[in-house]
Amino acid sequence: MSLTTDITDFVQRIVSAMGMSLTVRIEETPDGTRINLEGEDGGTLVRSGGEGLQALQHIVATAFRRQLGDDHRIVIDCNGFRKDKDAELRQMAQFIAEKARSTGMPQEMGPLNPYERRIVHLAIAEDPTVTSESIGDAFMKTVIISASR
Amino acid sequence: MPADGGASPLRAVIETAVRGLVDQPDSVTVTETVRRGMTVVELRTAPGDMGKIIGRQGRTAAALRTLLAVTAERHGQRAQLDIKD
Repeated sequence: MSLTTDITDFVQRIVSAMGMSLTVRIEETPDGTRINLEGEDGGTLVRSGGEGLQALQHIVATAFRRQLGDDHRIVIDCNGFRKDKDAELRQMAQFIAEKARSTGMPQEMGPLNPYERRIVHLAIAEDPTVTSESIGDAFMKTVIISASR
Repeated sequence: MPADGGASPLRAVIETAVRGLVDQPDSVTVTETVRRGMTVVELRTAPGDMGKIIGRQGRTAAALRTLLAVTAERHGQRAQLDIKD
């Protein structure tokens, strides 16, 4: 059985155990494995800011880390919830970058988890007029966005 | 008893998730008891697998607790995870 099948099967078994009926679709992207859950029962995972979705993602990524390696990401989305949230985060990063540029003062964003920080750093990296860095040594860190010199 | 048939989603979700995390899935046992309206789900694993279900900074244990809480809420219950060592 392929690893993709194993991952799909594991996600499906957890989702079913939780009493939900969701379609599990998995796609391999250059960035890692993306799993999309779809169906009306998805509301259970996305409420409270998607904490259920985040927990499920952590369990699945942890279960397959040894086989996939540390650099391979597993992202689980549900009914486009994460996609929308990621887009909001990118918009927010651009807005804060504009503020850093116009004021010349470094601006703070967060605290953010590693997944969120990565999205912010990637969004900022597209714009040569600003830079970003993470501050702190805990799981959640603040990202500082500054105008490039 | 297999973790299916819809008998207890609380036990099933913990059993399924934990078996995927540990080296010795056959040593995973999950039981549940109800105390004053609260379902207590007790989890036991092989001693060597304890670190895997707790995780760095307790994040895996926290994720298991969240999955349990979300499942309980879905079924109109309240639940608590008790990791036995």
